[in-house]
Amino acid sequence: MNFKIMPKSAFADWVDRLIGSYRVVGPKRKHGQYVFDELRGVEGLELHYPTSVLPPKKYLVPQKEVLLNYHLDGSRLEIASKPEPTVILGIHTCDIHALKLFDRIFSQGFTDQHYQAHRDSVILVSIECLEMCGPNAYCRDMGTASATEGFDLHMIDLGDVYAFNIGSQKGADLFKGFRQAFDAIDTDVDQINHVLATKWDNFPYRLDFDVHEMPALLHESFNSTLWDELGQKCLACGSCTQVCPTCYCFDVTDEVDLLMEEGQRVRRWDSCQIHEFAMVAGGHNFRERLALRQRHRFMRKGKYQMDAYNMVGCVGCGRCASACLAGITPIDVMNELCARQQCSELEPFASVVAEVAA
Amino acid sequence: MIPKKQKAKPRVAFFDFTSCEGCQLTVIDALQYHPELLDVIDIVEFREASSDSSDVYDIAFIEGSCTRASDEMRLRTIRDTASVVVALGACAHLGGINAIRNKQELDDVRHYVYDGKADWFATYAPRAISKVIEVDLVVPGCPISGAEFVRLVKGLLQGRMLEPIDYPLCIECKLKENVCVYQRGEICLGPITRAGCDAVCPMYGAGCEGCRGMITNPNMDAFYTVLREHGLSQAEVETKLTLFLTNQTMSMSREEAVHVEPTH
Repeated sequence: MNFKIMPKSAFADWVDRLIGSYRVVGPKRKHGQYVFDELRGVEGLELHYPTSVLPPKKYLVPQKEVLLNYHLDGSRLEIASKPEPTVILGIHTCDIHALKLFDRIFSQGFTDQHYQAHRDSVILVSIECLEMCGPNAYCRDMGTASATEGFDLHMIDLGDVYAFNIGSQKGADLFKGFRQAFDAIDTDVDQINHVLATKWDNFPYRLDFDVHEMPALLHESFNSTLWDELGQKCLACGSCTQVCPTCYCFDVTDEVDLLMEEGQRVRRWDSCQIHEFAMVAGGHNFRERLALRQRHRFMRKGKYQMDAYNMVGCVGCGRCASACLAGITPIDVMNELCARQQCSELEPFASVVAEVAA
Repeated sequence: MIPKKQKAKPRVAFFDFTSCEGCQLTVIDALQYHPELLDVIDIVEFREASSDSSDVYDIAFIEGSCTRASDEMRLRTIRDTASVVVALGACAHLGGINAIRNKQELDDVRHYVYDGKADWFATYAPRAISKVIEVDLVVPGCPISGAEFVRLVKGLLQGRMLEPIDYPLCIECKLKENVCVYQRGEICLGPITRAGCDAVCPMYGAGCEGCRGMITNPNMDAFYTVLREHGLSQAEVETKLTLFLTNQTMSMSREEAVHVEPTH
């Protein structure tokens, strides 16, 4: 692996240089929470943050995005999105894993050109978490507490310096002409290995079963009584899907101007938890009951995406649990399903360990 | 598509019943940002903005709730005249703040307000105009959102009856990355209230009061549980649900008794 080492004292200079060439976004404090937002300088950037309200997916699939501009007489039809080159700083590795899933989903069949345009315009700079960000996270169980790919640069805090794992040429280019980033020497690599190898005591397992069992567990739990219990608790507020880094369902609408001349085709985030999501022509709703919506959500995360994309659709970030007023958490749901299927005698999943820099 | 110049402009009239007329002020405000609306509609009656009036109109916007038996005839005349009737704002849509009194004895309320002259005022339980006449479309909110008004008018001109948003406010609030009001230990009706206001109250730190009405099929039992867990007594829960949702919660509790356990 190819590492650069940068003294922390040089980090502000580096960020300022990036801001000169790119839109640079990163986690910032907002009313006691953390949100990804544009940086004017290193001030306000909080690399040691628990987690953000919305994941950085908002830069790849914006909450609201104009896809097309057109004239109703057919004389004009153009793709609206011309994304600005953007460096996203401080992405947690769970979110990097989520974007790997997005890359797969949005390139399946016809590539989603709007996603791809954003994807090509962003440079992902992730950071290694050295401790669990909160009680709702279960990234170690999901194998997302570290990352060896999927980023352009990956930062590791070594105390006085940051180590940068170079994941791509785009990432390497961020050091072009910057004189305070040095090639790592053997002692640096030793320190990196030490930090990566010793962090695991801070990452407890929280699932009672091996994540590889999750698709099978959900398959067996399709008719579980737990779904009705969740349906009784759930407010159907949709907060869980809004904050989820792997939810990507969207709605597309046409918005035409008052004079019926010009129009825009707009894409917005949608949610399987809301009443109208599964409403079809004729007014039939095939997921009217909240129990069915909750089941669909968990099935999709733990099984359907595995079936379709060979990746589990949850990265264990815990945002949905933090956002849920009714206290529905994936850890509790999965463990309860496991208990009802009597699979608790399974050994904890031990095969997800840091792929320590070789 | 028919070129716009060949189309007759629909004649639009605004009417008010028991209300503060703030929604009509919001319409005037929206016209400042979208003056092009005036190119495509012909406003023939709008007491808030014009001295003209007309007995002939195609689209009627009605602000205010129906609070007297004598309001009903005027509402029916509007209904008979207009081909499209739109309820403008929370009072017309839900009965609005006026409906707070519906949980009390009407005579008591009337005497409290009008004292010795109570008998002069033949008011009855404030109700949504849809309880009196058929309503084609609703622009919810207290006040309405100007942007939503423009969007719905656009839809009307395109021959589409755009339904108001039917997902909860939490959706919009999360999109804006607002701090959840509950996290600050306060109460918010966002989980059961229709979005469409851009979460303006939570964005400025206030809990949602439910002015846009409830979503379809809210899970009230779960919501009462959440409110209890956040320390609200039964009286406080009822007060919270009374500002805009009196009529909606009363009709729900007639269907199935609302059972809220006191916390203490």
